[in-house]
Amino acid sequence: MLQVRNGEVEMLGVLFDRYHAPLFNFYSKMTQDRTVSEDLVQELFLRILRYRQTYRPNTTFRTWMYQIARNTRLDQIRKTHPETPFASEPVAPASLTDSAQQQQEAALLQRALMRLPEDKRELLVLSRFQELKYDEIAGLLGCEVGAVKVRVHRALQQLRQIFLQLESGANAMDLDRASGDPIPPNVPPIRRLQ
Amino acid sequence: MNCEQIAELLPDYLQGSLALEQVHQVEQHCGQCANCAQDVAMWRKLALLPADQPSPESRARFEAMLHAYPTTSVDRSVAAQSGQDYGKRNTGWALLDWLRSPLGAAAWSVALLVIGILIGTRVDHPASPSHVDELASMHAELTSMRQLVALSMLQQQSASERLQGVSWSGREAHLDPQIQSALLRTLRYDGSVDVRLAALDALSRHAAQPQIRKGIGDALQEQQSPLVQVALIDQLAEWRDPDAAQRLRNFQQTPNLNPAVRQRAEWAIGKLQ
Repeated sequence: MLQVRNGEVEMLGVLFDRYHAPLFNFYSKMTQDRTVSEDLVQELFLRILRYRQTYRPNTTFRTWMYQIARNTRLDQIRKTHPETPFASEPVAPASLTDSAQQQQEAALLQRALMRLPEDKRELLVLSRFQELKYDEIAGLLGCEVGAVKVRVHRALQQLRQIFLQLESGANAMDLDRASGDPIPPNVPPIRRLQ
Repeated sequence: MNCEQIAELLPDYLQGSLALEQVHQVEQHCGQCANCAQDVAMWRKLALLPADQPSPESRARFEAMLHAYPTTSVDRSVAAQSGQDYGKRNTGWALLDWLRSPLGAAAWSVALLVIGILIGTRVDHPASPSHVDELASMHAELTSMRQLVALSMLQQQSASERLQGVSWSGREAHLDPQIQSALLRTLRYDGSVDVRLAALDALSRHAAQPQIRKGIGDALQEQQSPLVQVALIDQLAEWRDPDAAQRLRNFQQTPNLNPAVRQRAEWAIGKLQ
C-alpha cells in the first residue's frame, strides 16, 4: 500500500488480487445482492486510489481498508434506502448436490442474517466470515475489545432467535417458497456438541 | 462455571483463540447447558453459508478503472499536492480535459483573441514602456477571466464539472477573496463528497492565509461525511493551530458521531498536545 500511496498506482492490482474476493464476500453477506456487491468492490478500490494519501504507515492496511469498505457501504445505504434485500440477483445459485435439509437451513440462515439489524449483521460477518480478530474489529469501530466480544455474542443470540422463529414458521408453511433463496455448494457437516 | 462466566469466554472460543484448559471448560459447560450449546451450534451453522465468489469480469472492470484513473481531477489535485512525478505526467491531460468542456473552449477562444491582438500590436509598433503596461493589464484581464470561469464552473450541475472548477480555481499562487469564499462554500455545502475533498485539497495549499484556516476549522462542525470529517481533522492536526485542540474537543461532543471519526479526533487531540 505504501507503494500505491507513493504513486505506483499499478501496485493496486496486487492488493486487488489479494482482497477483492474477501471484500466481495463481505458485501454479498451484507447485501445479498451480487450486482450491488460487485459495484461496491469497484467503488472501494477507486476510493483506496483517491484517498491513498490518507493511509498512514503505522496503521494496519486491513483495518484501514475495512474502514473505507464500511463507509462505502454506508454511503450506498444512504443513497438507496429503504434497504432492498434479495434484490436483483441473489448470491450463490442452488447446488443440486446439497441435501434438501441443508438447502433449507442455509436459506433460512440467510434470511435470518438479513433480518438482523445492520450493525449486528456487520459484526457477525466481520468476525465469522471475514475472520477479523476482535481487536481488529475494535480498532475499526473505535471501541474496546471487550465491548466487541459482548456485542458479537448478543448478535449471535439474536440471530439464533430469528432463525428459530423462521424455522418454526417454515415447518408450518409450504417449504417450496424457500427454494428460490441462495443455497450453498458443498458444505462441511456440522459437528454436534456432546 | 456458570453461563455468565462462559459468556466471557465464548467469543474467544468461537474464534479458536482460547487456551486448551479454557476450551475444556467451555465444552464441559456446553455438555450440560443447552442454551450455551445452541449459541455455539449457531456459530458453526453459519458455515452453511458459502464464501461468495466475485464474477471473473470484476478484474477487467478494475483494470479499466485503473487505466482510466490518471485522467480524473481528484488524483491530479492529490498528486500535485504530494509533488509526485505521477502528478507532473498528468498536466498535459489536465489541459486537454479543460479544453474539451464548453466553458474551457470559450475561455481559450477569448485568450487566443487577446494573444492575437497582442501579437498584432507588437508587430505594428516596436516595444515601448506603454506596451509593458498593456501587457500587464492583459495579464490581469486573463487572470480575472480565469477566475470568472472557475467561479461559474463551481456552480455547474455536474459533479465532475465542479471538480474541474475546484482544481482550476486552486491554481493561483494567491487566492482571490471571491474564489476563496466560493471554495469555502463548496467545502461546506457541495453535495458531492469528492468535490468537497477536492475543495479541501485546493484550500489547504493556501494555508498561509489565516481566514482559510479559520474557514476550514469552522467547516468541521457542519460536515456529515466521515471521509471529509477525517480529512479535516488530519488537516487541523497537521497545522497545529493553537485553537485546533479546543475545536476538536467541541467536535467530539457532536451526537451520533461515527466511531472511526471520533477515534481520529482523539488521535489528533493527542498529537496536538
